[in-house]
Amino acid sequence: MKRVTINPITRLEGHGKIDIFLDEEGNVANAYFQVPELRSFEQFCLGRQAEDMPAITSRICGVCPEAHHMASVKALDRLFAVEPPPAAKKIRELLYMAFFVTDHTTHFYALGGPDFIVGPDAPPAKRNILGVVRKVGLDTGKAVIECRARNHHVIRMLGGRGIHPTAGLPGGWSKSVSEPERAEIEEAARKNIEFALFSLQVFEKVVWRNPAYREMVESDVYCHRTYSMGTVDEKDRLNLYDGQIRIVDLDGLEFARYPASEYLDHVAEHVEPWTYLKFPFLKRIGWKGFQDGASSGVYSATPLARLNVASGLATPLAQEQFEKFYAAFGGRKPVHQRLATHWARLIEMLYAAERMLELATDPEIASPDVRRIPQGIAGTGVGSVEAPRGTLIHHYEADGKGLLQKVNLIVGTTNNHAAIAMSIKKAAERLIHAGKVVEEGILNRIEMAFRLYDPCLSCATHSLPGSARLEVRIRSHAGEIVRTLRREG
Amino acid sequence: MRSTVIVGLGNPVLADDGVGLRIAAELGRRLEGRSGFTTVELYAGGMWLMEAMAGHERAIVIDAMVSGGAAGAVYRLGLADLPRTHTADSTHDASLPVALELGRAAGLQLPGDVQIWAVEAADVETFSERLTPPVERAVPRVVEQVLRELDAAGLAQPRRNNQ
Repeated sequence: MKRVTINPITRLEGHGKIDIFLDEEGNVANAYFQVPELRSFEQFCLGRQAEDMPAITSRICGVCPEAHHMASVKALDRLFAVEPPPAAKKIRELLYMAFFVTDHTTHFYALGGPDFIVGPDAPPAKRNILGVVRKVGLDTGKAVIECRARNHHVIRMLGGRGIHPTAGLPGGWSKSVSEPERAEIEEAARKNIEFALFSLQVFEKVVWRNPAYREMVESDVYCHRTYSMGTVDEKDRLNLYDGQIRIVDLDGLEFARYPASEYLDHVAEHVEPWTYLKFPFLKRIGWKGFQDGASSGVYSATPLARLNVASGLATPLAQEQFEKFYAAFGGRKPVHQRLATHWARLIEMLYAAERMLELATDPEIASPDVRRIPQGIAGTGVGSVEAPRGTLIHHYEADGKGLLQKVNLIVGTTNNHAAIAMSIKKAAERLIHAGKVVEEGILNRIEMAFRLYDPCLSCATHSLPGSARLEVRIRSHAGEIVRTLRREG
Repeated sequence: MRSTVIVGLGNPVLADDGVGLRIAAELGRRLEGRSGFTTVELYAGGMWLMEAMAGHERAIVIDAMVSGGAAGAVYRLGLADLPRTHTADSTHDASLPVALELGRAAGLQLPGDVQIWAVEAADVETFSERLTPPVERAVPRVVEQVLRELDAAGLAQPRRNNQ
């Protein structure tokens, strides 16, 4: 069996490797996505005080610490059976919206956008944020830097620290919002809305109105029909911070709706011998392999999946964009064209910006009542949020002293492991036939297939030497390397 | 006034990956009372690192490195080598050279003088708050060397009374 290895993946957090296995005829049999294993997370946590977890878990990853912090404090609310006051929940969500705006901004301009704005066949050295700025203007580069700066500032103000928030506590938040802070956040939210609208215009103008790109987005190569997962409010509208987890089937019909605490009734994890990565699947359907379709338990949890499960968005401008999005796909919902995830991400960015403004102008946001002191220990706590890369679950169990006995996390990217492998396979199938590898463009197309998921492997791994070099190894039947292709990233 | 930013890069709960943070924190303590120094902890490189350097005239970046050398070995690197260190080059947003070029194009003041110190790690894949012994032993060595160089360059002046 031949084996093609692409290593490492450019512009991806964490050290990943793609293995493409060919069958006897030299066609793609399977494509796998591998990362090195990090050891002993559970052992590291067990026996610690549960209330240390928001600080510990936010350090797992340098990219989405805010998501871990939020899922963790929500799990602690349950573990200590305490309901935070309304102002505390709103402050948490406010910080979280600022985080979403900056994270989605960075992805679009630095990671996902370059493939389209600079072009999928542009050399990798040009497919980066600088290439984007050259195409759409230097002001855009400044705007991205400013967007990151103002939202990092908001996160620092509300969370106590710039990168790893420290303010989350079981039962609430450790500091309230002063009026000058609130006014500054309101101003930042307004700028975020403006920038999100601008970004959507860039997408529409540069991507959607370009027939070649539009064809690529709509093509079958990047289409997978799977179940979709996301979090919704009581009216089934998207909610990134809180609500119930909803799963819809391939036709958009509700398949399941449950509080995070019941996640184990709905999701199980498949294990493959070749990787330590786990592949979550829908328990009721079962694991049927890396397959599309209603009879396969594979689901995805991405910005696109979140729009697919939602009846709509709770803010006016984002709702308009939501309607425009589905209208652009002929009114079909759910949309299964995976490259549309980039568009969905920008719609979420607008939603987060608008929600940030709502919260910043909420009369209750400056209330000093931000914490309830826990009075007991329930023993089990499950908390979840929508992380930028998918539904994030923290599950803790503690003894009567609040010392941890069990820890389980399902991180955003993990939900999509099976879907990522399937998308890579489909892209590779187009470029490898009977042992012949179309070298030109294969790396770019494969990268585009997984980049749309914005996989962040830091939760499970950490970036090793950050060389952007891309390597493809083709192995013979016996496993020896017959060919090595290299490219400087 | 020349301002210097000391950036510790890494992950504090992944064994030797935390060495840059440990050294930066120790330097922060040792330089307390001296003016013109800022210490920053960073957990991701790329854009984050560029943004942390912005506004300073000099940057000292300390990171772990996995290059197959002896654990605890200390390397002095140039800016061109930075992507080789463990955290400096985020693959999540932009490589450091791209981030720096973007920052310059956007008009940010970025340091012309960037010093990089890297420590060869033995283990960056196990959750632990402890460094492995050879890497632990490298911490005071790097701290002393950095301080000696700062003194030799006349940079680490005692804080003036009016500051």
